[in-house]
Amino acid sequence: MKNLLAERLQKELATTTRRHFMKECISGMGGLALGSMFLSCEKPKPRQLQLTERDLNPLAPMSPHYQPKIQSVIYLHMAGAPSQLEMFDYKPELLKLHNQECPESVLKGRNFAFIRGRPNLLGPQANFEQSGDSGNWVSDYMPHFKQVVDEVAFLKAVHTDQFNHGPAQLFMQTGSPRLGRPSIGSWVTYGLGSENQNLPGFVVLTSGGKTPDAGKSVWGSGFLPSVYQGVQCRSKGDPVLYLEDPKGMSRNLKRKTLDIINQINEKEFQTYADPEILARINQYEMAYRMQIEVPEVMNINDEPEYIHQLYGTQPGEESFANNCLLARKMVEKGVRFVQLYDWGWDAHGTDKSTAIDLGMKDKCREIDKPITALLTDLKQRGLLDNTLVVWGGEFGRTPMQENREGKKQSFMGRDHHVDAFTMWMAGGGIKKGASHGITDDIGFSGVEDRVSVHDVHATILHLLGYNHEKFTFDFQGRPFRLTDVEGEIIHQILTG
Amino acid sequence: MKRNWFISILTFVGAVSILYVFWHQPKVDFSADVKPILNQHCISCHGGVKKNAGFSLLFENEALGATESGHPAIIPGDASESEFISRLKEKDPELRMPYNKPPLSDEEIKTLTDWVNQGAQWGNHWAYELPEKVEIPHTTLKAGFSKENTAPFAKNEIDHFVADALESHDLQPSPEADPLVLLRRVSLDLTGLPPGDTLAERWKNQEITYESLVDKLLQDPGYGERWASWWLDLARYADTKGYERDVSREIWAYRDWVIKAFNDNMPFDQFTIEQMAGDLLPDPNLDQLTATAFHRNTMNNDEGGTQDEEFRVAAVMDRVNTTFEVWQSTTMACVQCHSHPYDPIKFEEYYKALAFFNNTRDEDTHGEEPKLKFYKGDDSLKVEEIKSWAKRNGQAESKEKVEQFLLYQEPKYHAHDCEDFDKGELIDTKWLGLWDDGSCYLREVYTGGASYLYLNYWTGNEGSVLTIRNGGPEGEVLSRLNLDKTDGRVIKRFPFKKVEGKVDLFLHMENKTLNKQQTTSAINWFAFAPALPGKEQAGYQEMEQSFVELLNTPTPTVPIMAENPHFMDRNTHVFERGNWMMKGAEVTPDVPEVLNDWKENWPKNRLGLSYWLTSKENPLTARTIVNRLWAQLFGRGLVSTLEDMGTQSDPPSHRELLDWLSLRLMHEHDWQIKPLLKDMVLSATYRQSSISSPALHEKDPGNKWYARGPRFRLSAEQIRDQALAISGLLSRKMYGKGVKPPQPDNVWQTVYNGESWETSEGEDRYRRAVYTFLKRTSPYPSFITFDAGSREVCSISRTVTNTPLQALITLNDPVYQEAAFFLAKQMLESGKEDHEKSIAMGYEKALVKPIDRQNQKLLEELYRFSKDDFEANPDQMEEWLERAEDRDKTPEFAALVVVANALLNLDELLTKS
Repeated sequence: MKNLLAERLQKELATTTRRHFMKECISGMGGLALGSMFLSCEKPKPRQLQLTERDLNPLAPMSPHYQPKIQSVIYLHMAGAPSQLEMFDYKPELLKLHNQECPESVLKGRNFAFIRGRPNLLGPQANFEQSGDSGNWVSDYMPHFKQVVDEVAFLKAVHTDQFNHGPAQLFMQTGSPRLGRPSIGSWVTYGLGSENQNLPGFVVLTSGGKTPDAGKSVWGSGFLPSVYQGVQCRSKGDPVLYLEDPKGMSRNLKRKTLDIINQINEKEFQTYADPEILARINQYEMAYRMQIEVPEVMNINDEPEYIHQLYGTQPGEESFANNCLLARKMVEKGVRFVQLYDWGWDAHGTDKSTAIDLGMKDKCREIDKPITALLTDLKQRGLLDNTLVVWGGEFGRTPMQENREGKKQSFMGRDHHVDAFTMWMAGGGIKKGASHGITDDIGFSGVEDRVSVHDVHATILHLLGYNHEKFTFDFQGRPFRLTDVEGEIIHQILTG
Repeated sequence: MKRNWFISILTFVGAVSILYVFWHQPKVDFSADVKPILNQHCISCHGGVKKNAGFSLLFENEALGATESGHPAIIPGDASESEFISRLKEKDPELRMPYNKPPLSDEEIKTLTDWVNQGAQWGNHWAYELPEKVEIPHTTLKAGFSKENTAPFAKNEIDHFVADALESHDLQPSPEADPLVLLRRVSLDLTGLPPGDTLAERWKNQEITYESLVDKLLQDPGYGERWASWWLDLARYADTKGYERDVSREIWAYRDWVIKAFNDNMPFDQFTIEQMAGDLLPDPNLDQLTATAFHRNTMNNDEGGTQDEEFRVAAVMDRVNTTFEVWQSTTMACVQCHSHPYDPIKFEEYYKALAFFNNTRDEDTHGEEPKLKFYKGDDSLKVEEIKSWAKRNGQAESKEKVEQFLLYQEPKYHAHDCEDFDKGELIDTKWLGLWDDGSCYLREVYTGGASYLYLNYWTGNEGSVLTIRNGGPEGEVLSRLNLDKTDGRVIKRFPFKKVEGKVDLFLHMENKTLNKQQTTSAINWFAFAPALPGKEQAGYQEMEQSFVELLNTPTPTVPIMAENPHFMDRNTHVFERGNWMMKGAEVTPDVPEVLNDWKENWPKNRLGLSYWLTSKENPLTARTIVNRLWAQLFGRGLVSTLEDMGTQSDPPSHRELLDWLSLRLMHEHDWQIKPLLKDMVLSATYRQSSISSPALHEKDPGNKWYARGPRFRLSAEQIRDQALAISGLLSRKMYGKGVKPPQPDNVWQTVYNGESWETSEGEDRYRRAVYTFLKRTSPYPSFITFDAGSREVCSISRTVTNTPLQALITLNDPVYQEAAFFLAKQMLESGKEDHEKSIAMGYEKALVKPIDRQNQKLLEELYRFSKDDFEANPDQMEEWLERAEDRDKTPEFAALVVVANALLNLDELLTKS
C-alpha cells in the first residue's frame, strides 16, 4: 500500500500541494538544498537526498485507494450512551407495556451492567412524530432536529458486544474493546494526512465537563506514530498545550529565535546529511504557524450574531454548541477529522440528572439546536457534500426500567444495552432520509438489517476512499485493520 | 550398429545432463525460499482460520495429509503428481491458484516445484533453532575513506561481523567520532544523562581510557534508572489501574526493584525468574515477591457494572501475550482466536500457555489483592517475633502460613464470589452489601478447619449482626458476627466453628434499626486462618493481639502474584474463538511444541516456565534481549521487527552477529547485561562518527549496515532529564512514590475519579523522568508528545516522531522555561560581563563540546536582538524574568535566557549524535 500511495503522491505533488510547498520554500528554509522536496520550488536545486514528502512532514496529504466521497469527518459521540427509545426509535408497543414485568424469555442468558432479577418495562417517555419528507420518526426531545431529518440516514439496529462504557467507547472508536489500537481519526489522518498544515489533522473537542470514560485512549494513535493521535483543543487555558508563548516573549523575538535555531540546524544538516533535521526545521515552522492559526480557529467571538443564534453558542464556554461551531470552522479550514465528545448521557435514573424524563431530556436540549445548526450551516456553505457527520453513543439503553442492586428506583432510568441502538450519518455519499434497520416491538433487538460497529467503520472508511480490508498497518508481525477481520459496507444508506 | 552407437551416446549425454541438473540443482531452503511464498500467496486461504478444500499449509502434517478430495495435494518427490503444483499452472482461471489473484511468477513456481521434487522437506524457521557457534569472520577493513596509514577498523569481534557485511555491500565504515561527541553519546546511552563535569574533564584531559570511561558510566546509579525506563515499557508499568476510573495504584516498589536489579547487574535469567515466579521460589524474600509485580502491572477495571472475572481473564491473557512478546519476540495475541496464520503455534497452545498464569489469587478486585505489606521499624520486628513464635511452637508450614497471612493475607474469598442475593447486592459490583434480613451464599468454601474467620469490611452503622450457617438457612450456625461501626476499612477476627472439607456458607444479616433498603455494611473479603500455635505458652495473648494489630497497620504495599492453594485451583479451558464465555476443551500447562523441550524436573507452573524461558536451550530469549539492547544503542535491531522474530519478521541483517552475541550473553557473560552492553559500546561500530552523506543515505537510508554511527532523537525521558541536568536543576534522589512535576491545569479529567494532580514540591519537581507519576488515561503531556507510551499494554518499541507539538514543548513548556532560566544563570555567572564567554559556556554546557565560530556568531546575533528588544520593552522583560531576583533583571540576562531557550531547542541537543 505504501508504494502505491507513494506513486500517487508523486503524481499529485505538483498539483494539490503546490501551494503549500511554495509557502514552505519561501518561508522557512532559506538556501538549503533539500532535494526532492524542492521539486516544486521555483529555482532548481541539486537533487541530493531522496526523500518523500512524508519524511519531512508526516501529515502531508495522500490519496486513498479510490475516489473519496468526502474530505472530512465530524464525529459526534454522546459519551455515556443516549437512549434511542426517547429520540429516534419509536416503540408504541412498549408504551402499552409500560410498568409490566419484563418477560423472562427476553432476559434469559443475558447479562446487564446493573439490572438484576426481573425488571419492569419502561415505556418511551417522549412523544414522537413523523417528520420531514422522509417521514422518519423524531421525538419531541429533539424539536429542532426535525428540520434537518431529511439530511440524515438512520441506522436503527446497530449492535455492539461491550456493555461497559470504557470498553464500549474503545470498541466504537478504535474497533477493539481493549486499549492499544488506533482510533478512527488516527487511521484516517495516517492514511490521508491533512489539508491544512497549520492546524492539527485530527482535532478532539470535549464538552459535558469530563473526558470520555475510556480516557484519552479513544483518540490515541495506538501502534501508529503518535503524530496521528487526536489533538485536544481546549476552550479554557491554551487551546493546545503550550501553544502560547511564555510571558515576555514577543512574536518578534520568537520569530528571531526560530530563525537562529533553524539556521544552526541547517548548518548541522550540511554536516550530518540527516533528513530528520530538515523535518525538525519544518516542524518548528509549523509550530510557529499553529501558534497563530489555532487561536484564530478556536475563537468564535467574531462570528456573526446570526451564527450564534443558529447554534446557541456563548463564547468562552466549554459547551457542545460551541464545539459544533468549532467543528464547522475546522472542517472549513481543512482539518481532516473532528471528534466531539459530549459527556453525561448515562441515564440510569439514579438521580434527577440521570433520569430519562429529566436529565436526559436536558441533554437532548443541549444538542438539539447545535446539531441542527451544524447540518444547516455546513449545507449552506456547500461543505456538507464533502463532509461526513456521524452521530451516536457507545451502545444503547434497555427497554426495561433499571433496578440497580435489585432495588426499585425513584427515577426513571435505563441500563446499558448492546443489542440495538440508533446511530445516524449525514453528508457526502449518504442517502438522504434513509432509515436502515428495524428493531422488535419493544426495541430490545434488531430484527432486520442489523449492523455492527465494524460495519459502521467500514462505511466511514469507504466514504473516505479506503477499502477497509486493505487499509492496514503492520505491527507485532501482522497487518492490523480498523475493522479487525470483520465489517461490511452499509450500502443501503449510500448513494450509488 | 552406427545408429545404436549414436543412441547410446545420446542416452549417455542425456543421463549425464539429467544427473548434472540434479546434482547442480541448488537445494531449496524451506524457511528462506518456500515459506515466504506460502505466507504471501497461499496461507490466507489455506492455513489458520481458513482451510479451503481441506488444504492447509500451516503445519507439515496438514500440508502432506489428505485434503477434501481424499488425496494429499503434495506428493513429496513428485511435483508432476502434486495438485499443489499443477493448480498453480492451470489455464482455467476458476481452477488456477491463487484463486482470483494474479498467478505466481515462473520463478516462484519453479522454487515450489523444486522443493516438492526434492522431497517437500519441512524446515524450522531460523529463530526457532538454537544459535550455533559461529566463526568470527576475518576482515582487514580500515576505518575511513583514506586507507593509507589508518588503523584497522575492528576493535572487537562485533566489528568483524559488521565489516564483513559492509564489504559485501560495498560500503566503508566511518572514522571514529569526535571524542566529545562520543563522550556525550555513550553517557546518554548508558546513564540517560549527559556526562558529569568531573568525568567530562578527565576524559577531555585524556586521564582515562575509553574503556574506563565506559566502566564508570556503568557504575553510575543513573545506569539503572536509564535502563529501567526501557524495561518499564515492556513491563507496562504505570501508577494507575487503567480503564474508566483509572485510579492510582501503589506499585512503585516494583519500579525501584527494576532500577536496583539493573544497577546490581542482576543476571538476566535471575531477573526473569524473579519477575515471573519470585513467589514460587523456596522461602522467597520481600524483593523476590516484589519482583512478581511485573505481571501485576496488568490493568484493573473498577468501572461499575463490570464483572471481575471478565477482567481477571483479560489480565491473564495479557500476561501470556506480554511474556511471549517480552522474552520470545512472539506475538501470541492472534493465536487466542485461531491457529497462527503464519507461525507454527497452535490455538490450543495459547491456552496451554495461559494455564501457567491462570492460577493466581488476584481477581481484578478493587483493592488489587494480594498486596504485599512492607512493615517498617518496630512493626517489622514484631513480624519477625511472630514468625519465630510460630516456628517454635508449631510445624514448619505453620510459620509459612502465618507469614503469608501477615504479609499479604492469602488465601481469601472475595465478596464477588457471593451469589443468590436476597435483599442485598454487590455494591457497585464490588462489595457485599446486605440489608436487614438480607442473605446470600458463599459456596464451595474450604476453611481448612480454621478456628477464625477474618473479615475485611467497613460500615457507618451500629448493630448489624451477620450469621453464617453451614449449607443453608436451616444449617448449623458456624459464626455470629457483630459488625461494629468502623473507622474506614478494618480486618476483624471472629471465632469460627471448625468444619472439614468444602462447605456452602449461608450468610444472613440482621439490623432492625435500619430502613428497608439500607445497606448494613460493605464487606470486602473473608479469610479463614488457624489460630497461632502455642496457646498454652506464656505471652500467647500478646502475640495474638499483635498479629491482628499488624494486619490493620497501614504500610506501603505492592500488588504481587500469589499462587492458588490446591483447593482454589482453576481449570483452564480453551476459549472458542477467543471468547472467554465459551469454554472448550480443558488444557494443562505446556509450552509451544516448536520451541525448546520441557525438562521433567521443572514444576509445571510459572516457576517451571521461567526455567524454560531462561534455559540455554531456548532459542529466542537471548536473541530477543540482545536484539533489543542493540536497538537501544543503534536505533534499529539486528532483526528490525523488534517485537517479532517469527516467520513474518524481517530477516536479520547480521544473523551471525546476533547469534554470536546471544551465545556470549549466555555462556560467557552468564546472562549479565552490563558486560554485553560494554561489548557493544566498545565496538568500533558504535564509536563511528554519525556523519552521513547523500551517497551513503541513498545506499543505506536506515543505516542498516552501520557504515556510520547511530544518530536519532533522544527519548522523552532523556530530553527532560538532559534539560534538568544542563540547568543544574536535576535531583538525583532515587526511588519512592511517583512524583508530579508541573503540568497545565485541566489535563487530568477522569470520570468517577476524585484524584487531582498535586504538583510536587522541592526537589521532587526535578526528579528523573522515570519517577514521574504515570496515569494511563492521561500520561504526562510532554512525555506522550515525545512518543513515550501510556503503558496500558506491553510496548516493545517506541516510534520516533517529529512533530510541531514537540517544538511547542521545548520552546514554551514552563519546565523548559525554568531550565533555560537556570542555564542562563550559570552562563551569566561564568561569563560575568562578557556575553560572548557566557554564550560559549552555555553551548558547551549543553552540548558537551566547544562552540564553533558560526554558531557563536548566530547566537550572539540572537543575544543582541533579544537585548535590544528587552531594552525597548522593559515591561516585557519584567514578565520574561518573572523568576529572577531584582538584581538580575537586566536586558543582558533576559537575552541570555532567550539564548538558553534556543540552546534547548537545537536539533543536536535533542539528538544523540
